[in-house]
Amino acid sequence: MTWNPRPYLALARATARSAVVFRLQFALSLFSVLFQLVAMLAVWHALLSHKPLTGFTWPKMEVYLLVTFTAGAVVSNFSDFRISYKIRNGQVALDLVKPLDYQRARLAETVGGLGGELLSVLLVWAVGLAFGVRLDLPALRYLALFAVSLVLLVLLKFTLTYLTGLLCFWTKNYLGIYWARLAIVSLLSGALVPLSLLPHWLGETAQWLPFAGMTSTPGLLLIGNATGGQAYRLVAVQLVWAVLLWSAARLAWRGAMRQVTIQGG
Amino acid sequence: MSPLRITRIYLRMLGTHLRGSLEYEWDFWLMVFAAVLTQLVSVVFLRVVFTLIPDLDGWTFWPIVIMFGLISFGEGIGSLFFEGMWRLAYRINQGELDYMLVRPYPLALQVTSAEIGLNGLGNITSGGAMIVLGLCRAPIHWSPGLVLVAPLLFVSAMTIKVSISVTTNAASFWIQGPNPLFAMAVHQGGELTRYPLTLFPIALRSVFCLVVPFAFVGFFPAEFVTGGHALWIGLATPAVAAYCVLVARFAFRRGVLRYESTGS
Repeated sequence: MTWNPRPYLALARATARSAVVFRLQFALSLFSVLFQLVAMLAVWHALLSHKPLTGFTWPKMEVYLLVTFTAGAVVSNFSDFRISYKIRNGQVALDLVKPLDYQRARLAETVGGLGGELLSVLLVWAVGLAFGVRLDLPALRYLALFAVSLVLLVLLKFTLTYLTGLLCFWTKNYLGIYWARLAIVSLLSGALVPLSLLPHWLGETAQWLPFAGMTSTPGLLLIGNATGGQAYRLVAVQLVWAVLLWSAARLAWRGAMRQVTIQGG
Repeated sequence: MSPLRITRIYLRMLGTHLRGSLEYEWDFWLMVFAAVLTQLVSVVFLRVVFTLIPDLDGWTFWPIVIMFGLISFGEGIGSLFFEGMWRLAYRINQGELDYMLVRPYPLALQVTSAEIGLNGLGNITSGGAMIVLGLCRAPIHWSPGLVLVAPLLFVSAMTIKVSISVTTNAASFWIQGPNPLFAMAVHQGGELTRYPLTLFPIALRSVFCLVVPFAFVGFFPAEFVTGGHALWIGLATPAVAAYCVLVARFAFRRGVLRYESTGS
């Protein structure tokens, strides 16, 4: 079967438009990430102005935290809740009758939301750079790796969100799942503390988990803390997990289809 | 109606929602688990920070744990006993207040008791644990005076937290729309006050002291009790609490006057 991208593009456009229409809600979905950024800047500033840590000076940390914000802002709540909401209120029935691949269709919608998210990200970066954040760009090949790892980050975040969203076929309580996921990701992705500063065993383990690709990897690449073979290895780990999670989501979807209850009528 | 009767009816209304929620036992455990996990992660974060450095801008580990605990506990009280306020915007939008207006019970209490957030249990447990641990471990000079004042500060802090949520949700009477966007934004901003106020730039500090007094929920009471910096401003907490209750009451009453139901 040849794959026709047009309906998926239409879905992406529709989400992009809805982000414009519901711009207040959209902006608000980024608020918690923004406040988190402010809190982390304050805490790390107080810490690093006292004592520079190995690998992390204040200028590097600022950039790392901006990457953390970026990672938090893409695939925001706006896309996140949309996936589970349709399952919970039964709108999934309408998606099921469309002759589209369900997972790809949701990815298309998420990509559609990216435009607005990236715009907010650029805005925050611009403000940061204007107020004295110093960005020393790494060598070109690491910059290229950084770009690749950002793309993989979106894919990883989407598949994890999608997988947790699918859990709503079993429980109707998405909020609980969402909070639990948020807590786990914020710790194991290096969004709260760079993984190298975690207790050794935890940091080492987290490097090999899919969460590292959701903040730590792009962060380390941009501040030049991951170089040489390590840089390639981190991105490879990201890639492997993206493929694995994508396939796992396909399996989960099959299970969900045996489970499906359409709410309402 | 006597205050006792008002309280009894309030608890009964919450009780019906509790029974409803317990129908879904797994959901209950999931919510509690998620709340505890969230708090746990933030404590791990703090722990890591303090393995790197002995004090953060003059603050040691345990006083900050008390601040975290106060904020979490306040959040727990809010979701367990007053969760209904987060639905106020939707009710106004849908004209659902009509039913409540004709019932012989204070409207604000009907609104706040119209839902129960069981994640509150997780937040109360973990917040309580943090407060108790913090009080045990932080170097506190317990005097009879402090023993008397500390519970008062605690109750005031919780009152402030809930009052801020009620006030910001009452703003939905003016801001149209089915979601309490404004209240949610303020609530998320309040998360910043888990950390010592002195870490933030002066503009933010004044916002948290004067505009939305979140600083009196965690920072000032913890500061006063642990006494490290002898900030007597902590003693103002009860006065701030009284002020916040009055503002919430005023906002809600003025808001209800604007309520115009819907056509349907």
